[in-house]
Amino acid sequence: MTGVLVIDDDDRIRLSLTLALQDEGYTVRAAATAEEGIAEQRRRPAETVLVDLMLPGIDGYECIRELRRNDGVPIVVVSARDDTHDIVAALEAGADDYLVKPVAVKELTARLRALRRRSRTALTPVPGLSFGDLEVVPEAGEVRLGGNPVAVTRTEFRLLCELAYHAGRVLSRQQLLERVWDYTVGDERLVDVHVGRLRQKIEEDPAAPRHLVTVRGLGYRLQR
Amino acid sequence: MRRAGLRARVTAGFTVGALILSAMMALVSYQLTRNALLDERERTAVRAAYLEATVVRARLRTERPDIVEILRSLDTGQTRRAVLWRDGLWYARNADAGTTEAIPELLQRAARAGRPAIQRVRTQGQPALVIGVPLAGTTVFYHVDYLDELEHTLQVLGLVLTLVAMVTAAAGAGIGWYSTRYTMRPLTLVTSAAQEIAKGDLGARLDPATEPDLAQLTTSFNEMVNQLARRIERDRRFAADVSHELRSPLQTLAAAASVLGRRRNHLDDPSATAAGLVADEVTRFQRLVNDLLELARTDRPADRGPVDVVNLARQVCRSRRLPETLLEQGDLDDRVWVVDRRRLEQVLVNLIDNAGRHGGGACAVRLGQSAGLYYVEVDDEGPGVAPDDKQVIFDRFVRGRTASTRGDSEGTGLGLAIVAQHTAAHGGRVAVLDRPGGGARFRVELPVEPR
Repeated sequence: MTGVLVIDDDDRIRLSLTLALQDEGYTVRAAATAEEGIAEQRRRPAETVLVDLMLPGIDGYECIRELRRNDGVPIVVVSARDDTHDIVAALEAGADDYLVKPVAVKELTARLRALRRRSRTALTPVPGLSFGDLEVVPEAGEVRLGGNPVAVTRTEFRLLCELAYHAGRVLSRQQLLERVWDYTVGDERLVDVHVGRLRQKIEEDPAAPRHLVTVRGLGYRLQR
Repeated sequence: MRRAGLRARVTAGFTVGALILSAMMALVSYQLTRNALLDERERTAVRAAYLEATVVRARLRTERPDIVEILRSLDTGQTRRAVLWRDGLWYARNADAGTTEAIPELLQRAARAGRPAIQRVRTQGQPALVIGVPLAGTTVFYHVDYLDELEHTLQVLGLVLTLVAMVTAAAGAGIGWYSTRYTMRPLTLVTSAAQEIAKGDLGARLDPATEPDLAQLTTSFNEMVNQLARRIERDRRFAADVSHELRSPLQTLAAAASVLGRRRNHLDDPSATAAGLVADEVTRFQRLVNDLLELARTDRPADRGPVDVVNLARQVCRSRRLPETLLEQGDLDDRVWVVDRRRLEQVLVNLIDNAGRHGGGACAVRLGQSAGLYYVEVDDEGPGVAPDDKQVIFDRFVRGRTASTRGDSEGTGLGLAIVAQHTAAHGGRVAVLDRPGGGARFRVELPVEPR
C-alpha cells in the first residue's frame, strides 16, 4: 500500500501534487477540507497523510488531532506557515514531520520514503529492553509502562527504540534527526517536540523526567 | 567623563544644601553664644575689679599699709589675680608671681594716665582679661581674669556644633537618597516596562492609577505601546498573508515543474528548454521569497538555546559539500553557545554560499571565542571586497561586482543582508575584512552574554 491522502483547500495545489506524486508511483487521493479528509481516512486508510494547516472549517491542527485519535498513521504537515509557533503547535498536535511550502517533489518523496522506512526498521529483532517500570519491546512494537501498554505513534516508537538501543548514552538532536527522520540537515524542533510527546506518555512527571532526560547543549539520553 | 546619574546629583544637592545650612546655623550659634558668654564674663570681671579696687583704696588710706597683705585679703578665687602698681613698684601675692607680664604696656600707660582700661590678652598660651583701675596718685590696681575655662567650654560647644552640622548633612543625604528613590519610582516603572517591551513582551503596560501626577506620561506611554503593538501585529499579519499568497502558487509551480521535468525526454527541444527554465526559475523564486520573508521578520527576537556550534558547522559544511577539514577552532573553551540555532545556521550557510559565489569557495570556516564574544569567520581566496563596498555589501540586493558579469542566477542578493539581520538580532555585528594573503574574511561577532 503506497497510498497518500492530500488534504489541502487549494485546488491547484491538490491537482499538481496529485500529478507529481502519481508520477513518482504513489496512489493519491485528495480532500479539500479536514472533514472530508478525516472521513476518507476512516473509510480507506492511506499509508501517509499530507495536511495543510489553514483549512476552512476544522483547521489543520484539529484535523491532525482527530486523525491521531484513531491510529498512528504518519502525518506530514505541508504548510505555507513557517512560524516556530505554528510548527511546534502542529508537531504537538501529533504530526510526524513538517514541511514548509513550497516543497520540491524530490524532497517530499524523500520524506515519504523515510516515513515508510521508519515503520519497517522499527521491527529490528532486539530482545525487550527494560528501564525500571518502562519496557520497550521492539519485536512486538510495544511500549509498556508498569506492565500496561502505552499507545505511541510510529515516529515516537522509533525515537524511543533509538534511545533505548543506546541507553545511558547521549544522542544529539542531529543524530536523532538522522536516525529517526533520515534528515541530514533538519529542524531540531522535530526532536524536541517528539521527546516532549513521549514524555507525556512515559513519564510520571513530564516536567521532571526520570527516563528520558535532556543533556544541556548535547541532546537526550534514556536512563538505564 | 560620564555624567552622574540624576539620583546621585539630587542626593549630592541635598547633602551640600544640608551641609551649608547646618554649617551656617552652627557658625551663627557659636558666635552668638561666644559673644554672650564673653560679655557676661567681662561685666562680672569689671564689677569684681571695681569692688576690689574700692576695698584696696580704703585699706590703702591707713598708715603704712601692708600691700601684699591687702591683696592677700581679697577673695579672688581660682581664676583671678590681683596686682597693684605703686610708685613704679609691683605688688602681688606670692602665688601670683609673673602675673605682671600679662599686663600689656599700652594698658599700663592708659591706667597710669588715670584712665580705667580693659583688654583681652593671651599670655603664656592662656586667654585672659586684664582690667586696670587707677586709684589715687601713682597707684593702679590691676585685675587679671584667666579665661581658659571659658575657652574650653567654647571648644566643646564648637565641637558639638560641628558634629551636629555633619549629622545634619548626612541626614540630608539620606533624605535625598530616599526621596529620589520615591520620586524616581515612576521612572523606574517606565524603564522596566520599556525594557519588557524591547524584549518583545508587548503586553507590558503602566498602571495610570499608581501615580496620578504622572497620568499623562502613563497614558501616552500606554498609547504608544498600543500603537506599536497594533503596527507589529499588522506587519506580522501582512507578512503571514504575503507568505501564504506567494508560497501557495509556488507549491503548485514546483509540483507542476516536476511533472514537466519527468517528461523532458518526450518534449521537443524548445519545450524541454522552456520546462528547464521554468523549473530553475521556480527554485530561484522560491529562494527569493524565503529570503524576503526572512528579512521581513525584523521584529522577531533571537530564539536562544544551547547549540553545539562545532557540530552545527560540521553539518553545514557537509550540506554545502565542503570538506570538514575547512573547519578551524580558535580558542574555543565552550563549543556550546547560547544562540538561535536556526539563525546561526543560516549565517553559516549564507556566508559559505557567498564565498562560493563571489570568492571562489570558502577556504576556512573558523569558530572562536575572545574577550566576551563568540566569533565566526569565513575566509575565501577570491578578489576580496573593495573598500567602498565594505559597508554596502550588507545592504539588500547588493551583489558582488563579479556577479553581474557572470550572469549569476543562484544568489538572491539578500544573503548578506540576512546575515547582518541575524547578527543584529543577537546584539552582535558583522564586518568584512581583508584576509591575510588575499581574499575576503567575513567576521561575525556575537556577545557571549545575551543582553
